[in-house]
Amino acid sequence: MDIKLTDSSIRRFLQTTISPAQLAEKMSLCGPTFDRIHKEGEDVVYEIEAITNRVDTACAFGIAREGNAVLNQMAIPCELIGNPYEQKIDLYSHLPENFRITIENQSLSPRFCAVSLKNVKIAPSEKAVSQFLNLCGERPINNAVDITNELTLLYGQPIHIFDLDKIEGKTLHLRESRKGEIITLLDNSKNKLVGGDVVIEDSRECLIDLCGIMGGKPAQVDENTKNILLITATYNPQKVRRTSLYLQKRTLAAQIFEKRPDIELCLPILSIATELFSKRCMASPSSRVFDFYPDKLPPKTIDLDLVWLDKLAGVQIERESVLDILSDLGFNGAFNGENILSCTVPSWRYHDITIREDLVEEVVRIYGYYKLPPILPCVNLKAEESNKLLLTELKTKRHLSGFGYTEVFNNSLVSGDLIEKTMLNIKDHLKLTNALSQDFEYLRTSLLPSLLTNLKNNIGKTDLPINIFELSNVYIKQAGAVLPEEQSSLSLLTSYDFLYLKGTLEALFTKLNTDLIAFMPLKAQSTLFLKEKSSQIMHQDKIIGFIGELNKNILHNLDLKVTPVVAVINLPLLISTIRPGYSYTPISPYPPLIEEITIESETQVGSLIQFIKEIDPLITQVQYLNSFRNKHSFRVVFTSHSGNLDQKTVDKIKEKILKV
Amino acid sequence: MGHTAQIDKTKKDFDQDLSSVVQDQLNALKVKYLGRQGLINTLFKTLPVKDTPEIGKQINELKSLIETKIQEKEVELLSAVSTPIDVTVPGHQPPLGNLHLITQAIEEIESIFTRLGFVRRRYPEVDTDWYYAEGLNIPKDHPARDDQETFYFSENIVLTAHTSNGQLREMEYVGQPPIKMINIGKTYRRQSDASHNPMFHQFEGLVVDKHINITHLLGVTDYFVKSYFDLNRSVRLRPHHFQFTEPSFELDISCDICDGKGVLDGQKCKVCKQGWLELGGAGMVHPTVLKNGGIDPLQYSGFAFGWGVERVLMMKSDLKLPDLRYLYSDDLRYLKQF
Repeated sequence: MDIKLTDSSIRRFLQTTISPAQLAEKMSLCGPTFDRIHKEGEDVVYEIEAITNRVDTACAFGIAREGNAVLNQMAIPCELIGNPYEQKIDLYSHLPENFRITIENQSLSPRFCAVSLKNVKIAPSEKAVSQFLNLCGERPINNAVDITNELTLLYGQPIHIFDLDKIEGKTLHLRESRKGEIITLLDNSKNKLVGGDVVIEDSRECLIDLCGIMGGKPAQVDENTKNILLITATYNPQKVRRTSLYLQKRTLAAQIFEKRPDIELCLPILSIATELFSKRCMASPSSRVFDFYPDKLPPKTIDLDLVWLDKLAGVQIERESVLDILSDLGFNGAFNGENILSCTVPSWRYHDITIREDLVEEVVRIYGYYKLPPILPCVNLKAEESNKLLLTELKTKRHLSGFGYTEVFNNSLVSGDLIEKTMLNIKDHLKLTNALSQDFEYLRTSLLPSLLTNLKNNIGKTDLPINIFELSNVYIKQAGAVLPEEQSSLSLLTSYDFLYLKGTLEALFTKLNTDLIAFMPLKAQSTLFLKEKSSQIMHQDKIIGFIGELNKNILHNLDLKVTPVVAVINLPLLISTIRPGYSYTPISPYPPLIEEITIESETQVGSLIQFIKEIDPLITQVQYLNSFRNKHSFRVVFTSHSGNLDQKTVDKIKEKILKV
Repeated sequence: MGHTAQIDKTKKDFDQDLSSVVQDQLNALKVKYLGRQGLINTLFKTLPVKDTPEIGKQINELKSLIETKIQEKEVELLSAVSTPIDVTVPGHQPPLGNLHLITQAIEEIESIFTRLGFVRRRYPEVDTDWYYAEGLNIPKDHPARDDQETFYFSENIVLTAHTSNGQLREMEYVGQPPIKMINIGKTYRRQSDASHNPMFHQFEGLVVDKHINITHLLGVTDYFVKSYFDLNRSVRLRPHHFQFTEPSFELDISCDICDGKGVLDGQKCKVCKQGWLELGGAGMVHPTVLKNGGIDPLQYSGFAFGWGVERVLMMKSDLKLPDLRYLYSDDLRYLKQF
């Protein structure tokens, strides 16, 4: 949580001569981060990040306490003053009871302190007070309400005040709310509760407080208020958090109470507040102090092994520094054995410090992380095989960019609209329960829809041809499994033609050193690929991908004016075809004979090539040249390893080829 | 024609041929006179060499003369000045493709950590709450969950907003330390503005062994920062809080614009905070997390960090991208720049 505090409010508790800029810099190194610092008139305002587990630093005194420890270690003169834990507490035992409070369950409010004040004179606050509140982002209201807000900022303990005369029967009952109950709050909002919220009702069963979040309108202090009931308490943190989240009332009090402020601070702050009410509102106590605190915090000690501390820090820290740091932070340390320091956790760190590692953090951060040297660790890792998937992904990307293709990165989340337009089944897709917008709602099962969108977005902006690819995971639901399969997938798109893209893939397969991969006519109808102009990419009897044109209705749905050729490849399957290494083929010392042969045939060219290759072992290469109708020309290379080829031998083989 | 006359004629013809020869005809000239079927050999064959040894001597003299002259001509032609070409005419380029900036960044990050002996891993982007939060010491209803901006598929299945789910998965995979891995992957968060895209990338380092301490985290970070940015950069740790590390840090690197001084030409540096730029979070692995991963925290310690690929990419000062979301533009006019 981010808080704003003035320099002067921190210096009420921390006496030091260093400048605000220096204070901010030193604190950020060892304590809470001072994100921003700006001058406001005579004062300086800091924007401070009080991290979630350090609610004790969300106030001026908490910052001063940290500052004292930090500056001491840096040998900068300083002194911590005005410590509320040293406040003399008067319980006004001679005064009568003036109200009645019952608490249904101590888990709702582990501590509840209250005192009533009489002869309150409501007026605007002095200028200094309202200025302080304004600088810290709070709105000044009147001298009474301002006391509560000021003390929250100074000490981190929220305070609530009621007009005692508006509480029917001067009776307060703290309980869990029931479903459907309605409470009107100080911000005039009417709120319907879902039940289980911590509330206070009076004897008419009228809700007068949404505890820990905001007071109720019915018992609001106004300019006519004469008697005040002053409350300091702690509430069930989970309940406060839940209520404040669902009602969207993220008040400063709620943000503090959900993070468990110090239970031991209730009484000192009640006392400090009482003093301020007499000073600023001419009020005086009219009841003895009510203090509900059934289960006192038991002392908590943690043993810190100083040898282990040095081991984890990586440097040796002098014992004197360790003791000073811990003592400045309120940890009482006592040696228990030569190296073991038994540390008593102070009440304001009770919930945050639980293990010895927490103590290491306290000591080393104040000692100064910035003093530690950078050292590389030496780790004896076991040897393991290289990761084929990651390696092939990178090689593939490099090759394709080398072939003139541009890599795109698309969001893994796509819209239902795009899925439907590209004829994929929406039921195959994982759907977010809390999507930001409909544009990013489903995890994609194919990269193609995104590539088609990329094509559409670029038409008119870039000259054709457009050659793009994406290599990314797709997410395939697995029947019976909790998690989807995250499958590495390659998709390519060209505005050029089928043979261009096929050639790209063939080149890629060659570069990746795969086993023989064949392009076969599409066997079955596909919702995506146009059967007549597409091919399945096969390794033996496994389909590893598809290439071709898309069905016309997809192009129509996307309003695409260009007909692209696309391909999808399942990367793990492609990887399974990669040969473990290269094997050398001996080169013949005898010159090859090369013949151009034209065959007249209705057979597919791929089959013809395969047929020619298999005719004779002397045929070492068959290169396709061109076709005219059913006449197909090839360049055939004959090589012998045993001697010079004579034309007769070649002519005989040629005859066999022509007999196809 | 007499024998000598024949030899002289051949010599004359040769001189004439030689005077008009250009470089690529030189070889043909050689063949014409000195080849197997060349004129010199013809002389040997047609003249009565056996009967008159003097003739053989004359032909041999002519042969060596021709050889010498051709050689001289060769040298002469080689050293002659060629017609200059216009070297400023643009070259014929092969088609140029492009690797995406993020791929390039991931490649670079991976190679730096590989040099340090890290093993690259990939762990799920869609994971259970246990690996993503609960097992990382973030109980349900914990305020720390507020900051995560997480996408959910169901109460128990998330689209990860950080790569830290890889920590427990790596511990389970390896079984027993040592661990030294870098998990680079896609991450997602419910946020979209100038410095956030709903999809981004993180790299997560995890090192677990006996005797791993805070200075090691600094060592690795320092090496990374010096390799990825430049040698003059330095790093510092600041205290922070994460549920799955204890102690926890925020890492800063010194600003290159103002040289870490926070002041540039007498003005406050606009890029950094007092000379430092935030890199990301890190910490010593929380003993509960080690325990959840089946590792004894009394025997082993470790550190972990998770930083944004886009973040370090944007921190490269010469890139000058105004907005992180540009990284994800599909405009080829942008993509073809890299």
